[in-house]
Amino acid sequence: MVSSESRTYRLAKSAILAVLIAVAPFTGELRAQTRPAATKPAEKVDPITALFISAMEAMEKKDYDGALKLLDEVEKKLINPPAGVAAAVEFKKASCHFLKKDWVKAEYLFNQFLTKFPKGTEDILEPNDNKVGVAKLTLVEIYLNQSKWPEALKLCAELRTSPMIQPKDRVAAFTLSAKIIIEQSKTGGADIRNKALEQAAELLKKAIGSGISTPEGREAGMQLVEVYIKLNLVKEAEQLKSEIDAKSSGSPTDIVRSNFQKINIGDARFDAAQNAAGEEKMALLRQALSNYQGVLRRATIARSVSKAVEIKSEEVEKLEASLPNPNDEAKARIEAAKNELSEFKRIRDNFTEDKYYDALLSYRIGLCLLELKMPWEAYVAFQDIFDNSPNFDKASSAYYYYILALRDIGRNTEAQQKCKEFLKKYPDSDEVSNVALILGSISQEREEYDEAIGHYNWIKTNVKNIDETTKEDIDFRIALCYFSSVEWKKAQVAIDEFLNKYPKTVAKEQAVYMRALCWFFQGRYKETKEAFDAYQKAYPQGEFLADVRYRQGIIKFGLNPPEIDEVKKICRDWLRDYGNESHNEAIINQIPEIHTLIGDCDARLASDLDPAIKKADEDMRTNAAPADKARFKAQKEALEKQKEVHVKNSIDAYIAAAKSARTNTNALEFVLRELGKLLPGRGENARMRDLYQEIYDWDHNHPKAMSYLYEVIKATERMGDKPEFAQRTEAVQKKFSAQLQAARKNVDDIVRAEGAVNQVALDNAKKAVALLSDQLAAELAVVEKDRQASIAAAKTEALGILSKAVIESINDRRQEGSEKLILFLSEKLARKVKRLKPGAKVDPNAYTAAKAEEELAQLLQLDRNKDSLIAQARGYFAKAQLATFLRDPKTADLYYKKIYNNYRAEELSSTLVAIVGDQLLANDQIAKAEEYFQYILDHHRSSEYADYGFAGLAEVKFTQKKYKEAIDLCQEAIDNNILMSKEKEVRFTMAKSLAEMRKYDEAKKIFEEIAKTKEWRGETTAGCLYWLGLMEERQGRNAEAVAYYRRCYQTWKKYSDWSAKSYLAAARIFATKMAQRADAKMLIQEMLSKDKIKDTPEAAEARQLLNTL
Amino acid sequence: MRSVFFSLTTLLIAASLHGQTLIFKGNEKWEINDPFKLDNSIPPKPVRDPNKATINLVKGTVEKSSTQGGVTVVNTKRLTDVEKIVWPQFDRITEAQNFVSRGEPGKALDSIEPVLVFFEPLKKVPGNLWLKSVLIKLDALDRLENDAATTKYLDTLERSEEASNPELSQKVKLARLTLRARKGENEAVIKDATDLIAKSDDLDVLARLHLVKGNALLATKKYEAAMNTYLRIPVFYGSQTDHMPKALLGAARAFRGMDTPAAREQKLGEVSNRYLKNLISTYPLSKEAEIAKTMLTKEDRSQVEADETVKTPDGSPQPEPERTPQTINH
Repeated sequence: MVSSESRTYRLAKSAILAVLIAVAPFTGELRAQTRPAATKPAEKVDPITALFISAMEAMEKKDYDGALKLLDEVEKKLINPPAGVAAAVEFKKASCHFLKKDWVKAEYLFNQFLTKFPKGTEDILEPNDNKVGVAKLTLVEIYLNQSKWPEALKLCAELRTSPMIQPKDRVAAFTLSAKIIIEQSKTGGADIRNKALEQAAELLKKAIGSGISTPEGREAGMQLVEVYIKLNLVKEAEQLKSEIDAKSSGSPTDIVRSNFQKINIGDARFDAAQNAAGEEKMALLRQALSNYQGVLRRATIARSVSKAVEIKSEEVEKLEASLPNPNDEAKARIEAAKNELSEFKRIRDNFTEDKYYDALLSYRIGLCLLELKMPWEAYVAFQDIFDNSPNFDKASSAYYYYILALRDIGRNTEAQQKCKEFLKKYPDSDEVSNVALILGSISQEREEYDEAIGHYNWIKTNVKNIDETTKEDIDFRIALCYFSSVEWKKAQVAIDEFLNKYPKTVAKEQAVYMRALCWFFQGRYKETKEAFDAYQKAYPQGEFLADVRYRQGIIKFGLNPPEIDEVKKICRDWLRDYGNESHNEAIINQIPEIHTLIGDCDARLASDLDPAIKKADEDMRTNAAPADKARFKAQKEALEKQKEVHVKNSIDAYIAAAKSARTNTNALEFVLRELGKLLPGRGENARMRDLYQEIYDWDHNHPKAMSYLYEVIKATERMGDKPEFAQRTEAVQKKFSAQLQAARKNVDDIVRAEGAVNQVALDNAKKAVALLSDQLAAELAVVEKDRQASIAAAKTEALGILSKAVIESINDRRQEGSEKLILFLSEKLARKVKRLKPGAKVDPNAYTAAKAEEELAQLLQLDRNKDSLIAQARGYFAKAQLATFLRDPKTADLYYKKIYNNYRAEELSSTLVAIVGDQLLANDQIAKAEEYFQYILDHHRSSEYADYGFAGLAEVKFTQKKYKEAIDLCQEAIDNNILMSKEKEVRFTMAKSLAEMRKYDEAKKIFEEIAKTKEWRGETTAGCLYWLGLMEERQGRNAEAVAYYRRCYQTWKKYSDWSAKSYLAAARIFATKMAQRADAKMLIQEMLSKDKIKDTPEAAEARQLLNTL
Repeated sequence: MRSVFFSLTTLLIAASLHGQTLIFKGNEKWEINDPFKLDNSIPPKPVRDPNKATINLVKGTVEKSSTQGGVTVVNTKRLTDVEKIVWPQFDRITEAQNFVSRGEPGKALDSIEPVLVFFEPLKKVPGNLWLKSVLIKLDALDRLENDAATTKYLDTLERSEEASNPELSQKVKLARLTLRARKGENEAVIKDATDLIAKSDDLDVLARLHLVKGNALLATKKYEAAMNTYLRIPVFYGSQTDHMPKALLGAARAFRGMDTPAAREQKLGEVSNRYLKNLISTYPLSKEAEIAKTMLTKEDRSQVEADETVKTPDGSPQPEPERTPQTINH
């Protein structure tokens, strides 16, 4: 950025310098030449004097040729004139040639004047000024204009030391010397130029030695400021400039020049910042910004200069009117005023012509702000250019930086739009390639590959002035986009085309590698192998070698049959070579994939044994001969043992993969899924728990942390049902199985015995069976009791883990996940509570709601967190949620009240503010609700609870009868699509507010929309019907109103609030507006018969109405 | 060139004077006592330097004592004979200005009223600080949000002889605009402020107009335009540090308004907080800094309050203000 910025910046600078040169006052010339001759006022003018006056008048009118003719005539007519008079004529002739810019003749004549008249014009032209000094200074300028540096310098040196000339001319000589030295060095190298500037600075310092109070001193000072800037002595420049400004006359000329110097100082600082770093750079940029901000704007200067022109014109007019026959002094005054007027006009015209002065300032300010990392301010600065100077000649550069600012502030869509505008408007700009790449890369970064490809292709078709490197870059990016969007065939075609088109591209290695991957992902293993082999051959130390080696392993694994041993060898070698890598991100990401491949190999080996095991099992079952059976059994067991080894190896490898997959989400998810299939089935819940615990502990704020924690808890709970219980049960059953069999056989034998049944023996035998059964049951009960105890212990442990997770974040208000964990915990405890039917006897040992609440408090360690406001609030929230799960709304409400009665919104988490805010609304705590919802709007406008804020606050405003504000809030939510879970509420409040403002048509449309939306059917539908009825009633359409009310109370009986309102409203219409008192009476009786309605406030009103009927 | 030399001489005179000075006809200069400077006694008394002159507003005179041959002579001149006032620094005005900035308009009015009375007979004399004092009073009334008092004062100003002064007339227009904005005439205020911005040169007025316009845009929930308007103050009028707290606060509010779930990528809430923190650390004594603190979350507020060493952060929009000529002297 710095380099391209500097380039553009230089262009901008050169443009502003052009303006500077145009408007800066032209000093150091025209001095006495333009002053009128001090002709003696004569009542009777002699012909020669008259001729001389005519010559002067011609000079005033810039008719220099005419003046020269007249002066020649004067010269001819003068016979033996005094030296001073002849010198005056000579001086004026030389001046005419100087003003005609005839340097050769002017040089000749001034030299002649100085040689012939050592005393100059004496007092003829001006008292105490014989014009020798002026002639010499003018001669210096003539030398300068002819690039005769040595002559000019020599003369200046003479002037600087001459005691004969006036002090002001000496100062001017110093200034001119400096100017000459600088001019002379312009063709030299940087060192020469710098040295010349240093010399010039020394001379100018001498020039201002006697102060900057005179015009000559000030001019020298101003030049010194400029030299300081060029020498990068910005502080000195600024200091001197301040001194000069303090003594400024306030004339537009001075202010304009000072203004441009301010720009130059800013530029010098900006340039210096480009070569600085860190805080120094920032400080320089801030200073440059300050300089630019201090520059007056075009309108200000133009208006002020115009006013100055106006005032000066009036002054000239007044002078001319008041002095119809001016004497010499008056003439001089008029002339001076005219000169000033002409200078002001020149500045005004220049400013009128320079339409982009302000834009250039905004541009500079924008650049500073962009580099100061203040993108919003930079955005505003560049926006100013487009708003006020759309045709700015540097608009293309401004566009470019504007696009960068847009990217910095995250407005990528707008940045893309501006990129397109730029490419259309400025197809020949230097920044075309950069902008083209930005356009596509924004989509690419957002992983919107189709869009990115579209942009790149659009650029290829529409933008002509792209350099070759960028074309190559675009083609490669297109291939990358296809690749990233898993369009393997298209990617492959694009890569092939790219490699053919750019055989020497720097991206060749990557392209060759990607090409092989395209084959790989298409499942074309033969081609993949060839492609990877080609890569390995071409790039034996290539950047992608690690991945290629891994893929080679995958290919061998994909063969039929897979070359498992080879794959394992490749994986082992890979781990040997790269396993300890800790810096290369790509390799670190690949480590879990290698472990996964090893796991896959063992899993495959294990599953490959399944047919053999199955066959051995079948053989074992179908071969009854004991020897064969034993052989097949042994065979089966051996195979199973072999399989077990592979399964174990596979699990170990998957666990190793999971543990190394912190940065590789895909690999992690895959192995966790595989382990989820393997470990629980094998009862290895502890391993499962430990693994998930490790993954959860990586980052408790990870988006998936909650899922991992859930798995930890699930595995912990499962750990309670240990395999040993099954084994013990089996052993007990086995133990009793033979005994029971024998006892039952004994019973059978007795029953089946021939003859009469020995009843005593039978009874004893049966008793023995019963006894054994009881013993079996008793022993099984012991096992089951142990099992239940173990399960309960595991569940307690799981709750402990959950509790630990909650406690970790319970004190941090900003931890959003805390409430989710609390909900989870509350739900688990609620499930432990045994629900009883009303009236049922309570078991004193039963786990009741009270116990659950007690346990919840313990698990959340509320006693330990007494000092933490948020922890206590979360405790109340947890208890409220527990009550909600236990269907106890009153208790839930009690805890919510504890929160909103004791807490300000800023003391709660966003979730609590939103949920409790809704509770406040429900409980008519409007003022507090307003505080809560306002807090959401102030602090969580982009959060997932933003809609709670808008919906809630709008409802509050509606309740306060501030309908306009309610509508504005709803409209804002709708316009910005802040309607996540509160769309229905937002629209309902909007419609109600519109209705209250008598905007019935708009309101009706919204009510009907809500009422017909299936997903929203429920209480709000009832509310909509009531409001539709109310609107009809207010518009005097009673029958229509009654129809809506009826629909409400008939269809939505269960929403007693709305049906009660509808009943009462319909009855009132019947009674008071439709003269149907009987119908009204009947309707009220129906209303009062409803259990849900009879105790509502509307029912009380209805009873009063009934009494009047 | 005469005018140049004249101005230059004036400047030189001004530069050579150290304290507050009255320049009478004939270029006679009297250094005068600051009538508002009090000593540390209880109750405080005005500080009087016997070598300096003292203004007597009741008599409309300036009196200066001098000793001639052991006799003290009191010279008296009429205030109407003053041709120019040079008052490099007026502590009472600075104090009133600080009260306004800190959000203590009542105290600001108490400070500025005597200054207005003091300059009343001198308000046509070049170098007087009456207009500056009027502006401070208007600012204080604005802070008080006492529309009736402001309207009354503006009416008085408009009826006064000074009403034709373009600077005063512009400031009165601005104050009227602020009043209208408070009445909720936001759309009209936006339009009029936009028109006035195009016509104004005074950086102070421009900054104020942008604030008024920004406030009206914010009130009409045009957050993006409001942000753009407020930020023009730090971007283009960086030297107007008096208005910076309001601009930064307004920008922070506009960013909050712009914040929506759809714009989450832009992290506008964070941007807003950054502006608030910047405001608090850069202008800690301003009223806006107090408001900014209430707009921060509890944690951010504690951090800001605890972090006393916070300096202007990188990228702060407040570089050292530069003294800028605001008008061109003709």
